[in-house]
Amino acid sequence: MGLLTILKKMKQKEREMRLLMLGLDNAGKTTILKKFNGEDVSTISPTLGFNIKTLEHRGFKLNIWDVGGQKSLRSYWRNYFESTDGLVWVVDSADRLRLEDCRQELSSLLLEERLAGATLLVFANKQDLPGALSKEAIREALALDEIKSHHWCIIGCSAVTGENLLSGVDWLLDDIAARIFTAD
Amino acid sequence: MDVTAEISQEDGFAGESGAAKIKERLEKRNQARIEDAERRKEEKESQSVAEEKDEFFSKTFSRERVCIEELLSSCSGADRAVVTQRLEEATVKTVQLQKFLNDSVLFLTQYELRQSQAALQKLQASLAETRETALPKKKFAFRARTKAADKVSAPVSDTAQADVATSAPASGEVDGAAASEQCGFSNMDNEFLTKTSEEIQKRDVLLTHLSNCKVRLVGSPSTLHLKHIDSCEILCGPVSSSVFVDHCRNSTLSFPCQQLRTHNTKDTQVYLHVTSRAIIEDCHGVSFAPFSWSYPTLEEDFSVSGLDKDRNNWTQVDDFNWLAAGTPSPNWTVIPEPDRKTNWDP
Repeated sequence: MGLLTILKKMKQKEREMRLLMLGLDNAGKTTILKKFNGEDVSTISPTLGFNIKTLEHRGFKLNIWDVGGQKSLRSYWRNYFESTDGLVWVVDSADRLRLEDCRQELSSLLLEERLAGATLLVFANKQDLPGALSKEAIREALALDEIKSHHWCIIGCSAVTGENLLSGVDWLLDDIAARIFTAD
Repeated sequence: MDVTAEISQEDGFAGESGAAKIKERLEKRNQARIEDAERRKEEKESQSVAEEKDEFFSKTFSRERVCIEELLSSCSGADRAVVTQRLEEATVKTVQLQKFLNDSVLFLTQYELRQSQAALQKLQASLAETRETALPKKKFAFRARTKAADKVSAPVSDTAQADVATSAPASGEVDGAAASEQCGFSNMDNEFLTKTSEEIQKRDVLLTHLSNCKVRLVGSPSTLHLKHIDSCEILCGPVSSSVFVDHCRNSTLSFPCQQLRTHNTKDTQVYLHVTSRAIIEDCHGVSFAPFSWSYPTLEEDFSVSGLDKDRNNWTQVDDFNWLAAGTPSPNWTVIPEPDRKTNWDP
């Protein structure tokens, strides 16, 4: 094993990121994951448990964990916190009635010590629906401007059309990379 | 060092043959040096892998790229099955190409990396485009994409959900202001409520705080939310994505949809067509039967929704509060055939 191989191995290891995708049920987490991975989104069932996908994007190896958002599953979210580089919080922008629930769940997550170093990306999903709230309205409803503990960004997207998914993930990668891989 | 030693030794002898010997030795030495250089060169070559050369990379990359482009261009005009297969192949190849590029990151120059990344992105874009044109997904083609960015941040209150959709023109061409509101009914008691296809097509419909109502939603909405429903009968055309039910009791619901999520619901019958899965959580006394309501334009709405009419998983209900495999959940049942409702006249 030459020096080159060793360097290569180290570098490969370094370019791995762990992303955790959470949000209330019916927010579209699995749909985002599958759409991002180029899979069919028309046969998705409510997630009973979790999905993991490893995919390559812009030279990074992304391990994305998509954990079910049903009320009965939320207490298990904490099992997935360890060594998370990025947190993706998915919001159903058309579900006005549960925005308060959504805000509470997010704010309690951000108090979590094991997520303290993670970058937060909020996807205001379902922008394709005519009744969807804008990302500015979601930003206000979730009181994102009060978050001082994490780097965050909100992006309006649509998992079914794929709109803005890439730009959201790109932002997340840039932010994480800037923090972790100073060499890049 | 050797050489000087030998030479000094030879100087010592200083024989006639001395000069010739030196010449011979020098030649030998030269030969050895050349051989040595040769050997080292070979060694070096055997160490550097062919795959880590720029030419190899650019050749392979462009070959694969042309291959994918050909696949994509061959899609136009071909029939659906062929197109699906080709797109599949192109997708796989693109992913492989991305992996190849990632593996090669280490020995590529910045310029090459950027160029390849750009080329790959272009490929991905044209792949998506080809997929869009060759296999259009009807169900997500929204007509009124006019929801303005300057939309007011609507307060989250149940009472404010006025029924604004009725004021929209029949063509479905709603203007920005009207489209910012959700479409549906709320706070009604003992009424017969209907919506037409023009009002709900491709929209998100919300019904809240209804009691003793009969609701008929004809058309294909993109999602349907029901919350705080008591003693109602709610029938709806094919919903292209999910139906979300919360706090519903003593009611009868019927719709085709892609997913059904039912929460905090008691004593409710669901006549369901679901193409992926139905789930219940914190529910009790929920019973299921296959969708049986019909209206004149149902077929049309089915095709607008994109739902598969032949795939109905209404018997496969996941209960999030009952994870024991093998034993059926006590929270839901199948409605026995003789007890199923067949007449849906209001």
